[in-house]
Amino acid sequence: MTLQIELNGVNKFYGAFHALKDINLAIEEGTFVALVGPSGCGKSTLLRSLAGLEKISTGEMKIAGALMNDVPPRKRDVAMVFQSYALYPHMTVEENLTYSLRIRGVKRAEARKAAEEVAATTGLSHLMKRYPRELSGGQRQRVAMSRAIIRHPKAFLFDEPLSNLDAALRVHMRKEIRALHDRLNATSVYVTHDQIEAMTMADHVVVMRDGIIEQQGRPLDLYDRPANKFVAGFIGSPAMNFIPAVVGEDGAHVALDFGKTQAKLALGRGLPPGSSVTAGIRPEHIKVVAEGQGAFDVPVGFVESTGSATFITSATQPELTIVETGRGGVGSGDIIGLAIDPVQLHLFDTATGKRIEPENGRIGIEPPRHLHVAGHVS
Amino acid sequence: MSEQFRNRLMLAVALVLAAIYLFPLYWMYITALKSGSAMFATPPKFWPSEPQWGIYGDVWQSRNMGRYLWNSLVIAFGAVALISVLGVGCAYVLARYRNVWVDIGLFLILMLQVLPASLMITPIFVGFSQFGLLDTPRFAVILAIAAKSMPFFVVLVRATFMSVPMELEEAALVDGNSRIGAFFNIVLPLARNGILVSAILIFMQAFGEFVYSKSMIQDIELQPASVGLNSFMGPNTNEWNNIMAYATIYVTPILAAFILLQRRIVSGLTSGALK
Repeated sequence: MTLQIELNGVNKFYGAFHALKDINLAIEEGTFVALVGPSGCGKSTLLRSLAGLEKISTGEMKIAGALMNDVPPRKRDVAMVFQSYALYPHMTVEENLTYSLRIRGVKRAEARKAAEEVAATTGLSHLMKRYPRELSGGQRQRVAMSRAIIRHPKAFLFDEPLSNLDAALRVHMRKEIRALHDRLNATSVYVTHDQIEAMTMADHVVVMRDGIIEQQGRPLDLYDRPANKFVAGFIGSPAMNFIPAVVGEDGAHVALDFGKTQAKLALGRGLPPGSSVTAGIRPEHIKVVAEGQGAFDVPVGFVESTGSATFITSATQPELTIVETGRGGVGSGDIIGLAIDPVQLHLFDTATGKRIEPENGRIGIEPPRHLHVAGHVS
Repeated sequence: MSEQFRNRLMLAVALVLAAIYLFPLYWMYITALKSGSAMFATPPKFWPSEPQWGIYGDVWQSRNMGRYLWNSLVIAFGAVALISVLGVGCAYVLARYRNVWVDIGLFLILMLQVLPASLMITPIFVGFSQFGLLDTPRFAVILAIAAKSMPFFVVLVRATFMSVPMELEEAALVDGNSRIGAFFNIVLPLARNGILVSAILIFMQAFGEFVYSKSMIQDIELQPASVGLNSFMGPNTNEWNNIMAYATIYVTPILAAFILLQRRIVSGLTSGALK
C-alpha cells in the first residue's frame, strides 16, 4: 500500500487565528478517512486545504507523493463533493457531469459516453436533460457524487455531503457512498460532525478539536480506548457518562462521587492515593439488575423508550444514562442495581483529560456493594 | 369599514396618484397632436378635436432628428459598453474580497455617485480640454457619463455577484478550471440577468443625458437628441406642439422598452437576478 495523502506538521493561520495546529496525517491508498469534530474544529479547513481552496501556512502536504503546497486546485486531481452540492444551476445534469472533462479537452462524444456510464451506476440516466433546480435533494446529491466519480481522481473529498438530507435518506446514502468507495477502490476523505457517520463509514477516523487532532485510529479502537475525555464523550451515542472520582488512600480503590450518593470501586492497580480522576462508563455498558444485585444501586430519575431500547436516567448528581435493549419494567422513582463489566470502565486524568491506562488491562470493580443510597452516606 | 371597501379606496387613491404622476406625459402626447390655436385655448381641451398626425413627420424632417437620435444612440451604447467592460470586473472584485480597503473603495464609489453632474462638469471640462479630448466630443461625453454612472452599475452588479455562491466557483476550481475560467464559465452566466438589467438602466440614463453633452459638444452635427430638444426652446418659443412632438419621438421608444422589460428589470433589481 502506498501513501496517497501525507500531511507533515501542517499549520494554517487566519491572521492571528490558528486554525490548524501541527497536523500530521498519513492516508493510505484506498482508505476511507473521516474527519470528525464539533463545528469550528478545523476539519473543513483541513479538507479545503487538501483541495487547494485554502493555502496552508507551514508544513508539507503531499498527494500521491507529489508536494502540493503551492499547486492550484485544478492541478491536484482531487474531486470534491460540497455540502450544498454546488451544482452549476445553468447547466443540465449531463453538462454538470461532463464539465470537468470538457475543461480538460475531452471530446464531446467521449464525455457524453463517460457521463452515461457514470449516470447508469448512480441511477441518473433518466435525468440527464434536467436542470439542478428540477431535482430533489437526493437526486442533487447523486449528481454531485457523479460529478466527482466521472473524473477518476486521486482522492475524493466530501464536505458534509449528507447534512442536507432527511434522516432516512441519510442512512441510505451512507451505505451507498461507502459501497461506491469500495467499488472504485478510491481514497476518500470525509468531513462530518456526525460521529455515527464517521463510525459507520470510515476505515480510519480522525477526531479533531480546536485545530488539533485529538485522536486517530480505527473506529472501534476509538470507541474502546478513547485517548482522552473529549474523544470518549464525542464518540458513541448516547454519550459516555463521566463521574468525578477520587482514588482511595490504599491507592487501589476509587470513590465515585454522585453528590449524596457515593460508590466505591476497586482498581486493578495502584494509583497515587487521593488523586482525583474522572471515571467514564458508556450507557450501553451498564446493566440494570435487581436492587442489591449489582455493583451499586441508584434511584431512577426518568425513563424514555424508543421501542427497541430504553434510556434510563438516574436521579443522581451527575446523572447516569443507561441504555437497555428491550423494555425493562423500570419506572421513575424505583431503586435499581447496576452491574458494570470492569473492562468497560475508563479512567481519565481530571486535570489533563488524558486516558489513564490500566496496567494489567483491567480496572476491577469490587464485588461487595459499597454504594450508599441517599440517606446512608458513609 | 369592510375589506372590500378598503381595497377599493386604496385602488382609487393609487389611481389618482398615478394620474397626477403621469399627467405631464399625457399632456406631452396630446399637446403634440393639437393645432396652434387649440394649444392656447381656454379652458384647455383634454382631448384634441382635430389631431395633427402629420406633425411627427414634419418635426423629424425639420429638426433633422435622425442625426440627433443617432448621436444619442452612439453616446448611450458607448457609455454602456465602457461601463460594462470596466464595471463588471470591478464589481466582481468588490463582491469577492472583503477587507478594510474594499470597504473604503466602496465608500469612495458611492461618494462619486452623490456628486451631481452640474458640479462635476467644470473640472471635467477643464481636464478634458487639456488632454485634447474635446476634439472627439462624443467620446469625451461617453467617458464623462461612464465616470458618473459607473458607481451605480458597480453597486448593482456587485449585489448580483454576491448572490452567486462562492462554492460554485470553488467547485469549478476543483473541477479543473482556472480562476478566470471559472469566472467566465460559471459566475458570468449566472450573473447575466443582473448585469443586463443594470446595463439597460445605464443605457436609459445615458440616452437622456444632457449636462455633459450640452457643455462639451459644440458641433451641432454631433449633438444628441437631448441637446437638440434644448436648442428647440428659446425665450420666445411658442411652437409647443412641435416641441412635444419631438419629445414624444424621443421618449416613446425608451418608454416602450421599459414597459416591455419592466418585469425583468424589477425582478432583476430585487432578487439579484438569480433563480
